Amino acid sequence: MSDPKSGAGTSQTKAPPKDHKKKDEKKDEDLSEEDLALKQQLELYVERVQDPDPGLQKVALESMRQEIRTSTSSMTSVPKPLKFLRPHYGTLKAFYETMPESDLKKYLADILSVLALTMSAEGERESLKYRLLGSEGDIGLWGHEYVRNLAGEIAQEYMKRQSEEAPIEDLMELVQQIVAFHMKHNAEPEAVDLLMEVEDLDLLVEHVDSTNFRRTCLYLTSAARYLPGPDDMLVLDIAYTIYLKFEEYANALQIALFLDNLQHVRQVFESCDDLLRKKQFCYILARHGIAFELDDEMCAEDSDREFLQDIINNAKLSEGYLTLARDIEVMEPKSPEDIYKAHLLDGRASAGASVDSARQNLAATFVNAFVNAGFGQDKLMTVPPDSSSGGSSGNWLFKNKEHGKTSAAASLGMILLWDVDSGLAQIDKYFHSNDNHVIAGALLGVGIVNCGVNNDCDPALALLSEYIGKEDSSIRIGAIMGLGIAYAGAQNEQIRSSLTPILNDAKAPLDVIAFTAISLGLIYVGSCNEEVAQAIIIALMDRSDSEFGEPLTRLLPLGLGLLYLGKQESVEATAEVSKTFNEKIRKYCDMTLLSCAYAGTGNVLKVQNLLGHCAQHLEKGETHQGPAVLGIAMVAMGEELGLEMSIRSLEHLLQYGEQNIRRAVPLALGLLCISNPKVNVMDTLSRLSHDTDSEVAMAAVISLGLIGSGTNNARIAGMLRNLSSYYYKDASLLFCVRIAQGLVHLGKGLLTLNPYHSDRFLLSPIALAGLVIMLHACLDMKAIILGKYHYVLYFLVLAMQPRMLMTVDENLKPLSVPVRVGQAVDVVGQAGRPKTITGFQTHSTPVLLAAGDRAELATEKYIPLSPILEGHVILKENPDYREDS
Amino acid sequence: MLTVSVKWQKEVFKAVEIDTSQPPYVFKCQLFDLTGVPPERQKIMVKGGLLKDDADWSTVGVKQGQKLMMVGTADEIVKAPEKGPVFMEDLPEEEQVVSLGHSAGLFNLGNTCYMNSTVQCLHSVPELKSALVKYSHSGRSNDLDQTSHMLTVATRDLFSELDKSVKPVAPMQFWMVLRKKYPQFGQLHNGVFMQQDAEECWTQLLYTLSQSLRSPGSSENLDTVKDLFGIELASRIHCQESGEESSETESVYSLKCHISQEVNHLHEGLKHGLKSELEKASPALGRSAIYLKESRINGLPRYLTIQFVRFFWKRESNQKAKILRKVDYPLELDVYDLCSDELRKQLEGPRQILRDEEGKKLGLKANEKSSGTKDDDVKMTDAEGSSNASGESSATTPQEGVLSDKESCLTGIYDLVAVLTHKGRSADSGHYVAWVKQESGKWIEFDDDNPIPQREEDIVKLSGGGDWHMAYICMYKARSIAM
Repeated sequence: MSDPKSGAGTSQTKAPPKDHKKKDEKKDEDLSEEDLALKQQLELYVERVQDPDPGLQKVALESMRQEIRTSTSSMTSVPKPLKFLRPHYGTLKAFYETMPESDLKKYLADILSVLALTMSAEGERESLKYRLLGSEGDIGLWGHEYVRNLAGEIAQEYMKRQSEEAPIEDLMELVQQIVAFHMKHNAEPEAVDLLMEVEDLDLLVEHVDSTNFRRTCLYLTSAARYLPGPDDMLVLDIAYTIYLKFEEYANALQIALFLDNLQHVRQVFESCDDLLRKKQFCYILARHGIAFELDDEMCAEDSDREFLQDIINNAKLSEGYLTLARDIEVMEPKSPEDIYKAHLLDGRASAGASVDSARQNLAATFVNAFVNAGFGQDKLMTVPPDSSSGGSSGNWLFKNKEHGKTSAAASLGMILLWDVDSGLAQIDKYFHSNDNHVIAGALLGVGIVNCGVNNDCDPALALLSEYIGKEDSSIRIGAIMGLGIAYAGAQNEQIRSSLTPILNDAKAPLDVIAFTAISLGLIYVGSCNEEVAQAIIIALMDRSDSEFGEPLTRLLPLGLGLLYLGKQESVEATAEVSKTFNEKIRKYCDMTLLSCAYAGTGNVLKVQNLLGHCAQHLEKGETHQGPAVLGIAMVAMGEELGLEMSIRSLEHLLQYGEQNIRRAVPLALGLLCISNPKVNVMDTLSRLSHDTDSEVAMAAVISLGLIGSGTNNARIAGMLRNLSSYYYKDASLLFCVRIAQGLVHLGKGLLTLNPYHSDRFLLSPIALAGLVIMLHACLDMKAIILGKYHYVLYFLVLAMQPRMLMTVDENLKPLSVPVRVGQAVDVVGQAGRPKTITGFQTHSTPVLLAAGDRAELATEKYIPLSPILEGHVILKENPDYREDS
Repeated sequence: MLTVSVKWQKEVFKAVEIDTSQPPYVFKCQLFDLTGVPPERQKIMVKGGLLKDDADWSTVGVKQGQKLMMVGTADEIVKAPEKGPVFMEDLPEEEQVVSLGHSAGLFNLGNTCYMNSTVQCLHSVPELKSALVKYSHSGRSNDLDQTSHMLTVATRDLFSELDKSVKPVAPMQFWMVLRKKYPQFGQLHNGVFMQQDAEECWTQLLYTLSQSLRSPGSSENLDTVKDLFGIELASRIHCQESGEESSETESVYSLKCHISQEVNHLHEGLKHGLKSELEKASPALGRSAIYLKESRINGLPRYLTIQFVRFFWKRESNQKAKILRKVDYPLELDVYDLCSDELRKQLEGPRQILRDEEGKKLGLKANEKSSGTKDDDVKMTDAEGSSNASGESSATTPQEGVLSDKESCLTGIYDLVAVLTHKGRSADSGHYVAWVKQESGKWIEFDDDNPIPQREEDIVKLSGGGDWHMAYICMYKARSIAM
């Protein structure tokens, strides 16, 4: 048969379905000869089909089949045979009903099923109906579009049958066929979609093969973000299984971490028998910052296990960071003046200070700590005492006033971050001071040094636990906060048993109780631990009416919330209990629990719920709208689209919200774009930094620091410099400006505060917890940050991570290779092998990665053991590599 | 006997033997030998706890080959300095002012910026301040009227309050007395006090002070204000028609800078202002004739006040109109060529010394030829002076109470210390602001209650030519030299 399409006029192909009789008459005249012939041919077949002679019927059906099949390959317009058969759909249908059961009837059903593709009325699902009645032959023969249509109808039919509780076996058989077809034809997303509709993703595992599992899993993992629970967990579980099946253990591990399923993590370690890959797993675990103990089954060899555990414990983090710093040549310590760059503002800066200002010295302490974090040397605290006659190291400490000395002593911990051995040695001398503030700072410093680093000897626990029960409350707070920071996420029983009694101690001062709640929340972050929750709840119930007005009381609900960080429904029982609290704290508690539980999920319903709370105009001075605004950011930060949308919603809140909402909005923006200076947010914050309400301005200034943290962003640095001269008279705002300046140059630009890592896939709960505590404290800036609890700023240390790509060889020695670094591109569901980065530049490792950057190896010589080039990546020599000369 | 390894800082001591029969203190002494850390400073971590000196080894549970960690240093314990630092926040308010580097602002009491800016400018004259401090109630002379006395006292109090306070001051008392003394400042318009001409306020205030600050006891009737601000002018009045010539002297408190089409620089304006035409009856001609009056400076003040004549009475619109023309003024002003010949002779000696000193500072050898070619040198002063101007202005130390110090001589060179600017289109509206150089050499813009630090290069940009603040009154301080 001649191809009917060749030479066909295209003008009349798109006849509207209505009143086609009239059109047909006209069309008959317009049709080319070939088309006319085809039309007549088909009409003849239709007639023949209705012929009583089965032989003739069969021939007619076969021919019709042939005709349709040859033309359904492309679907940009309705194919000719289908179009010409349209008027006869009704006739054929009617005839089908009269036919006796036979193979021929099935044949006709097949044809009807295809015809229904264009003919069937919406919602009738006739294509599916006839398909099920038909011969069940190879589904792909009828073309791609037919399969897709069928898949759509199956989904609808499935829903209907589910509600009627009708059997679905026949459908599932069809699904099998369709999935197999899709998976073979590079249409993995369609296959996954169909299986999700019929709630049988397990089928997928049989159909993936080594060519398509990557695309399948990529689609699964990105789709999971938009699925309601518990479907998302299911989807990721399948992805995990597939990765495991194809021995892509690193990918499997990341999904296991996303699911927060330690059982899966174990399984990954147990299934893999390559020590080098296990080392890479340990690096991934270390970056995520969860406590994980290896046992015999995961690694049989004792010495190897010890070595792996060391990686998980981040024992080598300091070394890697310093290697990076040396490579980038930023080892030279920086003083606060180097950051303020007052010489660029000559004349406008305040007159040369002949007298020290305690507040400005405190700001300098923090700036010094943030800027030199982890470098082990600075110009204020670690200067050897014999270098100058005055012994400037001791002196700087005493240039701070009272509680300022706590932060000054603790800043030593920040400077020596992750370097436990020398850190403890340097802090040790402050333990023997006779000033309680200094001892408190030393305790806190020990906690900071040990942040994210575990050590067999548990030095932090040994040193700090003695001081928990001391008389002086500043010492107690130092020890308790130090423990919280050092053992965040560790779920250490021993600490719990020593801290919980404080919560319910009637004699303990409120600030000690508040910091105990926070530390327990940190240590048991995301664990849903019943005992801790109970203890905090009782502590909340025991508070007197007046204590609810205290600014620090807000830390109690937050400690409770941290226990449920990211745990979604698990919070419900506790949320129910919180309804019985004193009405002054009830709503605040409710908002905090809700926002913590859904943090990082991108759950739209929760965002709307929180927005609803912000829409109310309150008159009685309730405080719960602040955490609600922060909650919007916490929930929405999980996913790019939601993030953009909530930035817009926050703009609206700024215009219509009451003052307590406006004060929280800059902080929420700061969280959404942490270490990611988006220009539009930067502009908004810059505008707010001149707000007439000084608390809005302070929050905006701090947030400018947060969005620029660790980026050295020149524009933000310039803005802050100008703000420092604008606010030179306002000591409080100037303090905030200084802190923000320190944050922008965090770790001289080598660190990030972003809790998301691994291509924005994984959220480190500890990092998020640290940020949230700091932001909640900022809700009452005047009483906490500008009061005597400024050391809550050190909670940021939990989120600090080097934003580097460090490639190491098989002996874990740094190895410099060329890499391309560029803007990450979303390639989910795209055909072929699309480029994953754009606008790239080639560097040699180690390199810094900015927000939204992705790296790929620019050499074939090595194979990375981690799919995502971030943090420490082990490279293996490529055995197939040939040096081309 | 157990052997353990002990980690101390970055070192590891392998195979340290523990005698379990002895208390842990003995073990610590062993470590003292190894590390030099005294036992009482040692902290030994054993599985999340510290090793106590008197603990029993069997309960501690140390195993063979275990790794222990020891923290401790032999470093000197940090001691608080005996005298803690003094923080600004702890200082009493007066001392905070010192560290602030400038004095307080003045609240606007309703269109009183003309008064505030005048007070801020005059406040920057330390000699005036000390003269006011000496003024006492009892020292009131008989010929002084009550209101002048009160205004003087109010000025004195206001100045001292400005020096003591960090927060802006409300000059209530001063303003009331000022209105009492000069009722024109109390004019109301639509129920609020009207904006006034700052120049008038300045002149009147100085006049009052000159009246009250005379020390009546001394024979020569020393006039402090005149000594500080008074300018002696010697004028030659010449009639071209008749050829008559006469001369007269007068004393003024400010020089006028007349602004016309040709004037682009302060110097030109001053020259212009010293020449005037007047019509008076000529005895020789028997009718009124045009006389030309040419003035020259015969005596220089310590503080030279220059008023830019920016306002003139516009008859057609019946209001004071403003000339917006840009007139540049220097940070360092040399009035040598406006001086009379006598004064020039007096000035030459000190100027030579000043030049030599500046030359020395720049590393140049003092000129040997000076005596021979004096005249040439003098002419060059202007150019030389301006090239040396950078940073020199702050070199002159404020000399309080040197009123009678005859040893210091004026040089005819002046440094800008205060500018009173006006922004707006007419004298009775707009806004007055004072820009005052502090003792630290920094400039502060006193915009009523809000002192704002400014850069020196921005001060000379207030020369007009737009709608920005433009200089109305400039005050220069003499650069004097010890002889």
